[in-house]
Amino acid sequence: MLRLLSLWLMSLAILPAFAIHASEAGVVDWYKPLIGDALTGNPNLSPVFHRITEDNGKTRSLVLTATSSNVLSGLHPENGSIAWRYLFEDGNRVLAFKKHKNWVAAVSGVGGATVRVLDVSTGHLLHERHLHKPEAGRLLEPDSTGVALAFDSGSHVYALTNGHTVRKIEVSTGKIIWGWTAPDQTSLNVYSTVLPTSSAIYLIGLAKSFASYTLHITSLSPVDGSLLSSVDVPSSIEHGPASLFVLSKPVGESEHARILWLESNQIRSVKLMSGLNETPTAIKAATYRELVDLGLGDHGLLVAVKDDGSGQVIKLNDEGTGLKIIWEFADSADSTQHTASMYTGGLDKAGHPYIGRVFWSRYYKKASAHILAPHLAEGKGLVTGYTLPFETAVHGIIGNVAIDAVNLEEFRVLARVVITTTTGAIQLWQQDQLQWTREEGLADIRVAEFVELPERKLAETGLGEGHETFTGRVRRQISEARDFPHYALHFAKRFVTGSYDSVSSSAMPTTSDVASLSRDTFGFRKILVAATARGKVYGIDSANGEILWSRVFGLGWAAEVGGHVLPLKIYTTRTVMDEETPQVVIVTQRKANNGLLDTVLFHIDALTGEDSTGKSRSSDVLQGIDIIAGALVEAYLVRDEATKFVLLFDEFLQAHVYPDTAENTASFAKLIPSLHFALRTGQVGSLRLTGHRFGLQKEFTGKYIAHPTWTASLAEGEDIQAIIARPHEPVASLGKVLGNRTTMYKYLNPNVVAVVTSSLKAPTPSCAIYLMDVVKGSIIYHSVLPAVSGACDVKAAFTDNWLVYHYYDEDFGVDQAKSYRVVSVEFYEGTGIDDKISSSDLSSHSNASTSVHVLEQTYVFPRGISTMATTMTKFGITSKDLIVAGENGIIQSFPRRFFDPRRPKRKPTNEELEEWLIQYDPVIPDDPKRVLSHTYQVANVRAIITSPALLESTSLVFAHGLDLFSTRVTPSNTFDVLSENFNKAQLVLTISGLALAILITKPMVRNKRLRERWYN
Amino acid sequence: MQESIQSAHRWRHLPPPPGFSNTPVRHASAPSKASTAVSANYETLKDKRAWDFAISPAKSLPMQAFMLYMSGGGVQIFSMGIVFMLLLSPFKNLAGVNSAFAPFAPVPTGKKAAPNPGALTTLVLQKVVYLLCNLLTLALGLWKCHSMGLLPTGTGDWLAFETRSQPPEFVLL
Repeated sequence: MLRLLSLWLMSLAILPAFAIHASEAGVVDWYKPLIGDALTGNPNLSPVFHRITEDNGKTRSLVLTATSSNVLSGLHPENGSIAWRYLFEDGNRVLAFKKHKNWVAAVSGVGGATVRVLDVSTGHLLHERHLHKPEAGRLLEPDSTGVALAFDSGSHVYALTNGHTVRKIEVSTGKIIWGWTAPDQTSLNVYSTVLPTSSAIYLIGLAKSFASYTLHITSLSPVDGSLLSSVDVPSSIEHGPASLFVLSKPVGESEHARILWLESNQIRSVKLMSGLNETPTAIKAATYRELVDLGLGDHGLLVAVKDDGSGQVIKLNDEGTGLKIIWEFADSADSTQHTASMYTGGLDKAGHPYIGRVFWSRYYKKASAHILAPHLAEGKGLVTGYTLPFETAVHGIIGNVAIDAVNLEEFRVLARVVITTTTGAIQLWQQDQLQWTREEGLADIRVAEFVELPERKLAETGLGEGHETFTGRVRRQISEARDFPHYALHFAKRFVTGSYDSVSSSAMPTTSDVASLSRDTFGFRKILVAATARGKVYGIDSANGEILWSRVFGLGWAAEVGGHVLPLKIYTTRTVMDEETPQVVIVTQRKANNGLLDTVLFHIDALTGEDSTGKSRSSDVLQGIDIIAGALVEAYLVRDEATKFVLLFDEFLQAHVYPDTAENTASFAKLIPSLHFALRTGQVGSLRLTGHRFGLQKEFTGKYIAHPTWTASLAEGEDIQAIIARPHEPVASLGKVLGNRTTMYKYLNPNVVAVVTSSLKAPTPSCAIYLMDVVKGSIIYHSVLPAVSGACDVKAAFTDNWLVYHYYDEDFGVDQAKSYRVVSVEFYEGTGIDDKISSSDLSSHSNASTSVHVLEQTYVFPRGISTMATTMTKFGITSKDLIVAGENGIIQSFPRRFFDPRRPKRKPTNEELEEWLIQYDPVIPDDPKRVLSHTYQVANVRAIITSPALLESTSLVFAHGLDLFSTRVTPSNTFDVLSENFNKAQLVLTISGLALAILITKPMVRNKRLRERWYN
Repeated sequence: MQESIQSAHRWRHLPPPPGFSNTPVRHASAPSKASTAVSANYETLKDKRAWDFAISPAKSLPMQAFMLYMSGGGVQIFSMGIVFMLLLSPFKNLAGVNSAFAPFAPVPTGKKAAPNPGALTTLVLQKVVYLLCNLLTLALGLWKCHSMGLLPTGTGDWLAFETRSQPPEFVLL
């Protein structure tokens, strides 16, 4: 009987336990695909408009860009949505891309190892060619040196790689027609540009000579790649390839082409022709400091910046015999009124070039854009100017611009400007109207945390601002009693119609009060506070992924010299449990451009993004608190009974308390005798875990100083890779009850951390995972894992008494195959069943504290993973799922039962069945029904964070990497809410029918009884 | 018993039903030999019945065990009903032990009625046996509970009540 029951329960659990329905996609979860922040300042990689002519003659545009997340992407300029994106794999960095007609060619990898051609409208990979092995790539600085792509007028692309090899590739088939490698492959001679013309393929490079570079030109036959000529042009170029440009322009069947370079502040140029025998000429009109590539080289246009900062447009003249200055931008000289101008080029539908100049006016606090159309006004050139109300406090500084123009009528030019900002935003402005913004900084979230929202009541009444008196409370409750009839009516309606909040619906409020930020019934709606590497912090609605607020980290004194702010940690220092608005503290490190490093705290209100210290205005950037003048060693959140505060350690191990209130310092002083912590010490490459305690007396600096107490005895050359602490969560059960109702007590020593180490320099490289007691440094568990191709890729999660880690084992043999492995380790107290040492409140100094027995089991995991996390619920009663981000872009949940190390290797007995143990199977089943991410490709997930909802059954999951993805999971089903298909109408009808029956029959029964008394 | 005697006393003065003689049969003041023999016989019979009653719970044990076997090992309404009956009836029986044995109280020779039929001291031996037999029933019930896993005998049953305090060390993690 018992067996039948448990079998039935088990089948419930194994069968589609929580089917992820297609109808729930986009309701309980959301997905924001991103491309990463666009690369700036490199015309071969930065955003550029591209006009595609479709078969029916219509044209449409795309914004193409490569990003720092190693993605090549096309964006729709109308709404900013992603038309396509192509993810380059790690270690295969995109170095340049070139668009032409319906193709975009990209070269990536060290020295340009791979050339790919994609369809520009769909992003489909047409073909890819590996040109050389990654090891054979030349490492040049910067890495895009010696790599270039060029299309000819037909359908061939020329790929210059490694600085000395050029290949002609047919675009449609990917066939290499010919290849040519420079006979002189020394690093002294590096080609940087390839220019195909109808008569010759010119390779332009620089030969390193004493103190400067000499221009070196080689021309090849376009037919078979045979060398036509190779000359050194007498020149002396100081700045390397950055001051070397090629202008060309088609004339009939052939092209005019000239090379320009900057030589002792003068522009010199030489005509490219078959003999390569012309002597260089110079523009003597002015002295120049910089040449700016507009991306209009094939239209013969370039901007040269004069010594005073003003920009001149230089054009190849029609005969190709020389250069002429066709325009000088007014007021573009250096000034305190505005920043240095940024120049960019674009084309209109007819293919006419336009030149844009964008600068920030410090005086007007606005950006200005000037668009020059050189062909208009009878060839004299026409400038259209307007200002953009760019919000620098929200988006930082403009880093890059790209333009696209349309000439509506004779003297009217409309321009679209794509702006890339330092915070990672990509914006498109049509004239002075902002069309859309993409917050691509979110592709590099460094720290993120779920913050609970207050209840609606609290949000509305503003309760919690101080404590109210008794009379105040009575008055408030009387005034609130007015709403009772409405409430009662609402309750009755809800009860009868059965329109309750449903767990499978969106957590977003549907009614008008969307604006008020409040918790939903089940606590599924929280705020995600996420700080990015681009120095911006976002408040994201966890219900739908909308950005509720965003703030830019101010640089403080470093604003003068420039710098950047890198978030390291985030702590929720105040939650709604404290009956006040929640607050977070973000610990950041500010690197100023003058080399100084500071630790800066930002203390913000999680609901609004306002500065909780009140120092910065809401329209301005956030002002941080410079808490340590120097590097941060470690930061912790101390959760005392009464208070929560952040404890930071500087390089002298001095403790800094934030917020520095009397209550917090007193609480800290009280904790000092019992405080222990472990730090990573030593040199990078041989880091050690060292335990620390505090001195009981304050030092002369007025701070407590920590001193080391123990060092973990790791092997020589062993380096710490990661320390994994248990998440702060309640433990529901102190032990595991077995089928015969005996108990294995969980080893819940609160002082242990998991440590992943690598010893790659050892004769046989290996990795290891330890479980260490932080108080005395004892090793509780140790396991050595294989290193794969000289690297340790061990992912681990640690919760409760359960450590699970994932690695790749490339050993193979008779009974073993190469595979991903996952090891599940459970720690129990004592030596066996019913052995209790009360580990969770035992002193680590007690002998019994290392009395632990370990159960472990290895399983084969279906795939490689990028990260994993366990679910977290409010009370920890719900079983835990392992949420895994696979390398194939899917996020999947695996029930803990599959990882149970006690799975028997035979048919389970009755008692084991009562524990729901299933028979051991080496492979963890890869259940597609448990894919949380549906059909989305959640790319390059770096971290998964989980957070409890108000419902015990539900855990919120947020994954970030390149993309953002959030959902909620119920590892043990939604056991705490009535099922969706519960027939409420039937229940109500039955009850009301019974009530009616009682009402009708009661008088009848009474009459009958009375009659019985009289007549019997 | 007491009450029935009293109530009999209460109706003594009512007229007899028609056809019944009002005058009681007068006997000699000393009990006759025959009646003494009858009452002795009656006393042994009562004693026998008392013993029968005392071991009656044990007699029904095989039947109950069979019922338990038939009800199966699962926790369900039928088996639970039987188990509750098994667990409750010993206590119910023991609560009513004095009144249950009162009719069998021996009447001492020369007395009309037993002096104190409801006292615990009457028929002590039988009562002890009765108690033991009831305990057997109870044991059967408990054994059934145990086999169904309803008795909190394992440490796992007390795990939820265990608490842990704060550890002496405060570790920053």
